[in-house]
Amino acid sequence: MWRKHWCLALAVAVALSLPLVGVSQLADLPRSETLIMSILTGRVGTPGNFNEWVGWKWRDRGMQNLANEPLWSIDFATGEIVNGLAAGDPVYDSNFFHVEIPLREGVTWSDGTPFTADDVVFTVELLMDTPGFNNHAFFAENVELVYKLGDYRVGFDLKTANSRFHTTFLDRWGCTWIMPKHIFEDVEDPVTFEFDPFVGCGPYKLHSYDPAGYWTVWEKRDDWANSPTGILYGEPKPTYIVLQAFANEGAKIVAQLTHQLDGVDLSAEGLKAALAQGDTVRAYQLSFPWVVNNDPAITGFIFNTAKAPYDNPDVRWALTLAIDIVEYAGQAVDGMGTLSPVHIPSLGSYPANFIKPMEDWLEAFTLDLGNGETFQPYDPDAPAGVVAYARSRGYIVSDDPAAQEQAFGLGWFKYAPEAAAKLLEKNGFSQDAEGNWLLPDGTPWRIEVVSRSDTSHLEFKNASAAVQQWKQFGIDAVHVPTDAAATLTQNGDFDIAGNWPAQEPWGAGPDLYRTLNAWNSTYVRPIGELTNGNHSRWSSPEMDEVLADLRATDPADTAATIALGIEGLKIAFTEMPGTPTFGYIGFVTWDEYYWTNWPGAENSYIGPYAHWGTFKYMTPFLEPTGN
Amino acid sequence: MRFVRRYLLPRFIQYVLVIFLGITAVFFIPRFTPSDPVQRTIAELQSHGSYLDPGSIDEMVEDLREMYGLEGSMLEQYGAFWKRVFTGDFGVSFFQFPTPVMDLIRMSLPWTAGLLLWATLLSWIVGNLLGGLAGYYARSRWSRALDTVAMVVRPMPYYIFALSLLILFTYVVRLFPIAGGTDIGRKAAFNWKFIADVLRHAFLPALSMIVLGVATTFQTMKLIVQNVNAEDFVQYAKLGGVKERRIVSRYVIRNAMLPQITNLALALGQILSGALITEIVFSYPGLGSLLFNAIVTGDYNLIMGITALSILAITSAILLIDLVYPLFDPRVRLM
Repeated sequence: MWRKHWCLALAVAVALSLPLVGVSQLADLPRSETLIMSILTGRVGTPGNFNEWVGWKWRDRGMQNLANEPLWSIDFATGEIVNGLAAGDPVYDSNFFHVEIPLREGVTWSDGTPFTADDVVFTVELLMDTPGFNNHAFFAENVELVYKLGDYRVGFDLKTANSRFHTTFLDRWGCTWIMPKHIFEDVEDPVTFEFDPFVGCGPYKLHSYDPAGYWTVWEKRDDWANSPTGILYGEPKPTYIVLQAFANEGAKIVAQLTHQLDGVDLSAEGLKAALAQGDTVRAYQLSFPWVVNNDPAITGFIFNTAKAPYDNPDVRWALTLAIDIVEYAGQAVDGMGTLSPVHIPSLGSYPANFIKPMEDWLEAFTLDLGNGETFQPYDPDAPAGVVAYARSRGYIVSDDPAAQEQAFGLGWFKYAPEAAAKLLEKNGFSQDAEGNWLLPDGTPWRIEVVSRSDTSHLEFKNASAAVQQWKQFGIDAVHVPTDAAATLTQNGDFDIAGNWPAQEPWGAGPDLYRTLNAWNSTYVRPIGELTNGNHSRWSSPEMDEVLADLRATDPADTAATIALGIEGLKIAFTEMPGTPTFGYIGFVTWDEYYWTNWPGAENSYIGPYAHWGTFKYMTPFLEPTGN
Repeated sequence: MRFVRRYLLPRFIQYVLVIFLGITAVFFIPRFTPSDPVQRTIAELQSHGSYLDPGSIDEMVEDLREMYGLEGSMLEQYGAFWKRVFTGDFGVSFFQFPTPVMDLIRMSLPWTAGLLLWATLLSWIVGNLLGGLAGYYARSRWSRALDTVAMVVRPMPYYIFALSLLILFTYVVRLFPIAGGTDIGRKAAFNWKFIADVLRHAFLPALSMIVLGVATTFQTMKLIVQNVNAEDFVQYAKLGGVKERRIVSRYVIRNAMLPQITNLALALGQILSGALITEIVFSYPGLGSLLFNAIVTGDYNLIMGITALSILAITSAILLIDLVYPLFDPRVRLM
């Protein structure tokens, strides 16, 4: 009898469980028309709040990359600046106190309201007048007056000369976006306003979102043709785009291997696992080093130049020459990084515009080692060492010099521990009987290298590799990963930090003002105070002069802008406030089961990242496979 | 009266004192860390790709200090903090500005409470039931078999166990969703489709917690029962011819339950701390990851909000158990 009861209970339990079982994660969305990408910045903390002008709102959940259009976008893959809501370049007057921006006609917001100059004027005035917006201070300090010069042209009178004012509207993973005036003008408190549903000029509109913050669904607008994306590139292919967060990498990989995630950012190890197990999974590059190596950021480490002995350029150079970059790159990123000897990454137009024209100067650059000895640190053969390392690991590397140059860079510095030792001895450093380095006062030299604690982050990897190199050189170096790394470096409470050695450049165009301006002497503060510029706290009158000249140069004057950029890079190279190692690496994989024609290295029609603003420009080029 | 003076009153005083000291510690500890929330916010905005014009950062810092309520001495901030706590207001989240802390907690709490409440209760009930019977009938084959299973399962690191379940049921045998609390595109509604969806997503996280929870409770209860079973009063009852069912329920299990009731109260009180590893492995929403992210981003107000509620829940659970304990254990009433 009891067996019967058990069987009945089991049958009921199974029947009740059936609706719980099933692999699909899509409720009512057709998979073949849906593109699923991961959110780089993770679970959205404020899912019902789309007011991206205030605080941090996880804007890569679809706002900046699908539903919004900026005036201009950077596309680092092609090196182009894309006109979005702007119809052309900004037009400055000769002394840079006035700028006019032409706007694109025929664009409508996703609720059908036409986009006009009124929206731009309203946005700027609201930002100027309202503390609480992220860019309130910038507009309040810079703009005297904003006004419309017709429905599709706006003018700005500036408080001070500023030839780069327009770049606040240039989307490079964020910018000042234009608000829909017809919505915000009726809002009582625009800072606490949640802006749900989101209304933008991009080709997608909000469909739904997870109140717990794990996914946001965007739907192609019926009037996609009225978006700049539609006007420029045609109809986006996916009807729905899901941006989904995962709390761990294992889940991301499983989702991609089961065709539930079309595009994802992983770690180095995750990328290898996904490629090894997924028949339809591909990376940005089809062979080693697989990774996205044209991200416009240069990684490395910075010295605290407000603190002895790192205030001495000889010491900074000595620590740089004590590094064997082949070992370093192997340890940090398994040889996948693109080396750069200067403070910009070796990608896009930068090698042609800046690094190659500097090569003669780099090779002739000479350090004074003391006692009449000199040393030329530049090594154009350094990438060949990384290629040899990669081959020794069994990776297949192209023999094509151009391909090698693109993947591994143009050069770095010689591994020269003897020269490093002489530079240190020139400045009073010495070694004890065991070969350990002592400071000029005879005490042991201990270096603490801080970095963020996320082991997959390139700041961590650079710090870890540098510490190994300096230990081999005889310095008591320790790696201090900490969640307080940002605060410590901002306040100058560090020796050396795994960090970006220079502010990231735009990634397109010839203007390096963004990078060089971080070394502006007006931003340098004493140790203990927050610095607004580069955390190395380095500046120089020579760099200030270059910056003054750049400010007085129209960024549209390419030749003059490049010449000044090279001048600035030479000063930074000579002083070495931070050491550049390799460009930022993105570990992206795409599943080609549902969608294909991804912008890989062999077909780089647009930036490869789903979290960048240019993702919306990728959508018209993606092709459904029919699965 | 003697009972009130010697038992209840000290516990009330202890309750109030622990809450006061706990919340005070929660206020001061983040302020003594090297992480400044305003600088942290700026750094986070920058690290998330926002380019903040360096010339405007000073003014932005001043704006944020004012809006975050970080102006004035620490003592003034402390006074203002207690005033707000009494009205249930923990201010706005720094990192998720200007969202109020209580809104963020309200958003995550139902997921955590829904998952942990059931997982805790089920683990406790099943674990105690099986452990109690296995302890009493310790020599039976099924008892030894259950013990072996518990011995295998319990030492497994939770993260590994949970990850194994995830891979087994989402990749090897594709039965359950990989991530999230609901299907993508599902709008919240009070219907079977939505409820089934929520249950489907909660199944693996709950299973991972229940299996390990049952194993732990099973082993503890089994040991306690075996000890109680060896006590003289149980032996006398057996010799005195008391029915076995009565011995099991009234003599053995009832005595063995006392420490388990305390454990249950503590476990329920800890629900507000969330289940961070579960949330990470199964990408499941909840308070654990909310607190973790608050710590990572230096979000004082959010840290204070979650931990203050957690302190309140745990101390209240302890007080509650102290209050009801005399009902279970008559010896306490004689104090």
